Amino acid sequence: MQYKSQAVAKPYFIAAIGLFIGQILFGLVLGLQYVLGDFLFPAIPFNVARMVHTNLLIVWLLFGFMGAAYYLIPEEAETELFSPKLALALFWIFLVAGALTIVGYLTVPYATLAQLTGNDLLATMGREFLEQPLPTKLGIVVVALAFLFNITMTVLKGRKTSIALVLLLGLWGLAVFFLFSFYNPANIVVDKFFWWWVVHLWVEGVWELILGAMLAFVLIKVTGVDREVIEKWLYVIVTLTLITGIIGTGHHYFWIGTPEYWQWWGSIFSALEPIPFFAMTVFAFNMVNRRRREHPNKAAVLWALGTGVMAFLGAGIWGFLHTLAPVNYYTHGTQITAAHGHMAFYGAYVMVNLTMISYAMPLLRGRAANSNKAQVFEMWSFWLMTVAMVFITLFLTAAGILQVWLQRVSDSPVPFMVGQDQVALFYWMREWAGVAFLIGLIVYVISFFVKGEEKAA
Amino acid sequence: MNTLNTAANRTWIVLLVATAITYWLGESGTAGKAGTMAVFVMLGLALLKGWLVIYDFMELRHAPTLWKALLVGWLVFVLGMIVLAYWMGLH
Amino acid sequence: MPPDTTSATMSVAVRPSGPPNDASGARLPGDLAIWFFILAELLAFAVFFLAYAFARAGNVEMFNESQLTLDLNSGALNTVLLITGSWFVVLAVQAVKRDATRLGARWLAAGMACGFAFLVVKVFEYSAKFDADISLSTNTFYMFYISLTFFHFMHVVLGMVILAILLVKTRQGAYGSREHNALESGAAYWHMVDLLWIVLFPLVYVMR
Repeated sequence: MQYKSQAVAKPYFIAAIGLFIGQILFGLVLGLQYVLGDFLFPAIPFNVARMVHTNLLIVWLLFGFMGAAYYLIPEEAETELFSPKLALALFWIFLVAGALTIVGYLTVPYATLAQLTGNDLLATMGREFLEQPLPTKLGIVVVALAFLFNITMTVLKGRKTSIALVLLLGLWGLAVFFLFSFYNPANIVVDKFFWWWVVHLWVEGVWELILGAMLAFVLIKVTGVDREVIEKWLYVIVTLTLITGIIGTGHHYFWIGTPEYWQWWGSIFSALEPIPFFAMTVFAFNMVNRRRREHPNKAAVLWALGTGVMAFLGAGIWGFLHTLAPVNYYTHGTQITAAHGHMAFYGAYVMVNLTMISYAMPLLRGRAANSNKAQVFEMWSFWLMTVAMVFITLFLTAAGILQVWLQRVSDSPVPFMVGQDQVALFYWMREWAGVAFLIGLIVYVISFFVKGEEKAA
Repeated sequence: MNTLNTAANRTWIVLLVATAITYWLGESGTAGKAGTMAVFVMLGLALLKGWLVIYDFMELRHAPTLWKALLVGWLVFVLGMIVLAYWMGLH
Repeated sequence: MPPDTTSATMSVAVRPSGPPNDASGARLPGDLAIWFFILAELLAFAVFFLAYAFARAGNVEMFNESQLTLDLNSGALNTVLLITGSWFVVLAVQAVKRDATRLGARWLAAGMACGFAFLVVKVFEYSAKFDADISLSTNTFYMFYISLTFFHFMHVVLGMVILAILLVKTRQGAYGSREHNALESGAAYWHMVDLLWIVLFPLVYVMR
């Protein structure tokens, strides 16, 4: 660790993992509720468990991004963080606000929560992923702006590298697009149109910039490849992302009531969205192939390569499978969507955060890399989680194909619940894969506590 | 340097002539009446024009083969597929 | 490779123009990164062009009929403008490479003038269409016509911005016989815009 203030990243990473565990536990609850509908009803109904699962995901990823930024920005800018105190204060504010929100979801009926938190002043609740009460949303904005202020000031007073600038652009974009969560028009078409300005332009837009910057940073550190080479790749990736992803938003505008030309625009541009992910994979493998050093942190290299592959598979390939309008007409809102969503989020954003944590945590704890024994545990956790996720995705894809056939394509389509009964077997299999995933996560946590001979920093 | 100058000028003239022919094919309605032949001529001219832009304007004439292949390959592929689509539309 | 020691500036090393020659002396003009960008743009347009071509195959009569309302004169004039603009930029790069930078700057300005004229012609063309109540939703042909040409239009605009930057820097003496990497890169982008129109014009305006 080159700069003392990088230490503020540690609590962020720890919170991220803690919330990740919570997310998976609730994921398992949901998976079980798919097949045993009354599980935990009425204490934790499906819709509440779902809110907790998805909100925890986003919040832990945000903790991860912030930790990553606090770690890499001082090192890139070659100067101490502008205000470590502010970073720590924001950590607690964000954590407490997040925790209270989750507690609110679990203990208070949603409508009551809305009443209690001033939703009548400005209605922002009631939409997928944006279920947070108004105060929470405002809190997120405040925390985000203060965080951005902190890291921007740091870059301004130091070296301005491409990695730092791309990361800043991505993070500022994240904040700006989140503002659209405050816009909740009465017209449902307009509502849905702008909802995607948060969701799509996050995960298929500015988050990809964050992903690229984080990956580039770790690759420079573990391979020793010349910065100029890595930064050129980063520019190419960012350009490809923006060219394909901005108008690619149109692949969410096929059926919501917007004009027909969106079916063309959305299909054409989003068909190209796998390309930046492909570039990221080639980038990662290429850099590792031409490495100039054998970094002792083998686990981090594994995560970096895995991120490229799984992001390409989950976001790129699985995304492509249902992105063209004629296909999407049949698959929209089915388990195909869920399959893609899970592998994409895991492959791109979970894995890049775990890559960063894998690389940075040992350094934050005073060593270049963990002991061989600890790394072996960590690599086991990589394979367990990744393979489990592949199976979750495959089972949901199977469920989705069957569902699409039964419910939409066949000559005698069946109602939703009838179809669901027929795919229940796949839901059971998915649940077992989910258990395997949890085991992987537990192994991952254990890896932090395994002793052995550590590699000196 | 002098040769370059002439090559660029030559290319420009050829491009203008090719454009004029394409325009005439469209304007005179030949593209519609003579149908397939006219379309082939027109797309062939597009191929020629594109190739010249790639070789003499983008200066890839003296570039590594890979890049020549990528750009010209793009042109050939796109125009080829357009021909295919056109043919499909005739039936 | 030089060590990572640049100060508080963008970390892009200055190096001799263009990547090193390969064994045969072949050289890719301009920066490698711009060529990746060009390939990406070519790919995006290729998909769009082919979407048009195959959509047309299923709708030949309607496409032919609507196509008749297009202004062939504008289309041809625009083709001439882009071809000529590209030629001017070639002359500009050649001039700068032999250190005739003032002449080079004038050729760049001429190229920009052509680009600007293209945009003006296009605006008139659109304005006539919009006056006739034609929009993206009129039919699939018009959807493609407007989308494709507008998408291309935006790339001409970007090309103009690039040329403007190149023009300013040429006037400032940033480029010459020894350093012209950025100039060649920008010029390559401009030529790409021309190349795209060379496919677009016959495809959308003439082919029937």
